[in-house]
Amino acid sequence: MAVSGTSRQKQTDEVMELTLVNTVFQIFSSNMMDIPVIKPLVDVLMTVPIVKYLVALILWKPFFAVILVPGLTGLMLSLLFIIWFERKLTARIQWRMGPLEISRSIGGILQPLADGMRYFFQEIIIHKEAHRPYFVQFPILAFIPVLLPVLFIPAGTVYAIRTPYALPVIVSLISMIPVVIMAIGWASNSRLAFIGTVREAFMYFGYEIPFIIAVLAMAVLYGTSDLYLIVEKQRVWGIALNPISALVFLITMAMATSRLPFEIAEADQEIAFGPFVEYSGILFGLTMTLAYEKMYILGLLFSVLFLGGGSGPPLPFLGDLTPVIWLYIKAVIIMCIMAFLRAVYPRYRIDQALRLGWTYLAGLAVVSVVIAGLISAGGLLP
Amino acid sequence: MDENIRFLHDGPLSPIKRWGAKWSLWPVHLVTACCGVELAHAYACGYDGERLGSLNYGIARQTNLIIVEGAITRKMARVLKITWEQMPDPKFVIVMGACGLNGGLFWNGYNMVRPSDVVPVDYFIPGCPPTPEALLRAIRALQDKIMSGRADSTARFEKVDLRDLVQMPETPKLKRAPTPPLKITKAPPIKVDIPREVDWDGDEILSLINDKIGNYATGITVTGRGRIHARIPLERWRETASALSANFDHVRSVNVIDVPHEEKFIVEYTLSSYTDRTLTGVLLTIFTEVPREDPVIESLADIWPSADYMEREMYEFFGVWFDGNDWMGRKFLLAPDTPDYPLRKDFEVNKESYVIGRERR
Repeated sequence: MAVSGTSRQKQTDEVMELTLVNTVFQIFSSNMMDIPVIKPLVDVLMTVPIVKYLVALILWKPFFAVILVPGLTGLMLSLLFIIWFERKLTARIQWRMGPLEISRSIGGILQPLADGMRYFFQEIIIHKEAHRPYFVQFPILAFIPVLLPVLFIPAGTVYAIRTPYALPVIVSLISMIPVVIMAIGWASNSRLAFIGTVREAFMYFGYEIPFIIAVLAMAVLYGTSDLYLIVEKQRVWGIALNPISALVFLITMAMATSRLPFEIAEADQEIAFGPFVEYSGILFGLTMTLAYEKMYILGLLFSVLFLGGGSGPPLPFLGDLTPVIWLYIKAVIIMCIMAFLRAVYPRYRIDQALRLGWTYLAGLAVVSVVIAGLISAGGLLP
Repeated sequence: MDENIRFLHDGPLSPIKRWGAKWSLWPVHLVTACCGVELAHAYACGYDGERLGSLNYGIARQTNLIIVEGAITRKMARVLKITWEQMPDPKFVIVMGACGLNGGLFWNGYNMVRPSDVVPVDYFIPGCPPTPEALLRAIRALQDKIMSGRADSTARFEKVDLRDLVQMPETPKLKRAPTPPLKITKAPPIKVDIPREVDWDGDEILSLINDKIGNYATGITVTGRGRIHARIPLERWRETASALSANFDHVRSVNVIDVPHEEKFIVEYTLSSYTDRTLTGVLLTIFTEVPREDPVIESLADIWPSADYMEREMYEFFGVWFDGNDWMGRKFLLAPDTPDYPLRKDFEVNKESYVIGRERR
């Protein structure tokens, strides 16, 4: 009896495991990316016993959105591209060649990878005055507010979480990044880092309020803060409906990602990269890319709010991948515009930047809210 | 192979490490002299050092290469060492210019340090200043060194047998040079107040000075247009200064002349005036002689505050003790480890030694 009882127990366990695996598999396969080009291959792979789980996981839309494009992989690729593009563009504007010799045939695009490898294998110096645990933790912790917004950004039907509160959640997560940067400066415990931290705090208040008001204007205009609905409602792109809001968004984006006219917190000629002055090796690599990652997230948000998100001419045979590609291209174009700013502008003093933020930008943001109110009251949108 | 290069060559990941370090040599430049201009040129549009993946960065913590541009003095040696210590391993050094190589223009100077005594140098670039091409060549050479682990000179010389090219004459017989006559001239006396006939009606001023210090001075001489020298005995030094302080309101310069063969220093104070309009064009130099054995003279910094810094400087250079100045006995302008009194005639600079005829491999 005892023997048969345990065997029955085992059997039920196996059945339960199987049903659990099957339910998970059901969840994955019911919400898979439909890409006509690779459909035959996927169909073949789905018949192989174990590989089918893996394929189902990779092509599961939430997983695809977060880990591949527009999530982590897209972020890394855009980072490698934009750093190279920025150096190359600056060089061309200054009549130089920019990074080239590392791979002549493809224009030196491997340069950021080489820099990354060099940083990766360099010594990490933790100086005596640093608050050791925080000093090491914060560059890694900073990724949480940078990466979480990706969960809420839809590329067509490819998204991880759909919620009516997507816009406020994204904005609040993005607003957390300067807090981490200030914490980094505080943990560094050096005078240049302190100056940079204070500047970062000042700038934070300078740009955050116009930025939030500009985003709010778009929420008012569309009558919802569900990004999926916002994309659907854009028969005409948001930038045409409310250009002032788009302008305020772009300028505050330049401030938030410390692009050159507003690169005040990190001013490397004055205060030697401000909050990041004491970092070396891979930790500096992480902190340096922080602004670019923020730029990528803001670029995605800009595309969704003003450029119609994943909408665009249909690409044949790509199916669900079409909006992903359009959204990615739009975000990268926005990043390129931001990179262009660095090559052509000198730097503002902090008081000039703050005056701009508190007066003109805040005023324009309020104007954009009024415009949005008029449009939504006039019933111009469906 | 030094430890930085060895680190890049160790382990299974060595190819990636070397590749990353090779294409990402970011220099923090230590501009101490004119070579900085050439560095700017090398990274500007004509030559574009960024092609090689080398990006100028001002910050020590995030770079891996120091380019030392120019002469390193005792004070800058400390800065160089601090910068080097701030940088994360693996790190490299390139030294530009003749000054960094062996002193160059400032060869044998009492205040010079060779960068190779402070930090381990990977490549020297000779030249005064080196061209941008030479700098880029050094960066290329450093890249090769990182990849291969060997430090090769980038200069290659063809070996030529001179006997094939020119007809060498027979070695002539050795002739002795004639012995020179042993004639040593006596060191001439050093005279500061040599009178000169000049077209200048300074009688009023001369009589004014005569009124003030005629009792103290042992000689008042006109040495040029508006240039007057007054020889003062050491005992009457301070009284002279207080007598002149009403008319002359500042000291232009304090100067010391070392006269070792007469066992004395000549100390000069050049006075002038901003407030008295008749005296603005006049430079009155009061000078006295101080014994070389025990060079003590009363400081005039309390009468003319502008003399303070110059007295400190003269103390550092010659060791003349300006009694009453607080800074005596301490270094003010020179680095603390500079040897004492470098401008005295009998000061001996450390001789450099060379090894000739033995090439290091």
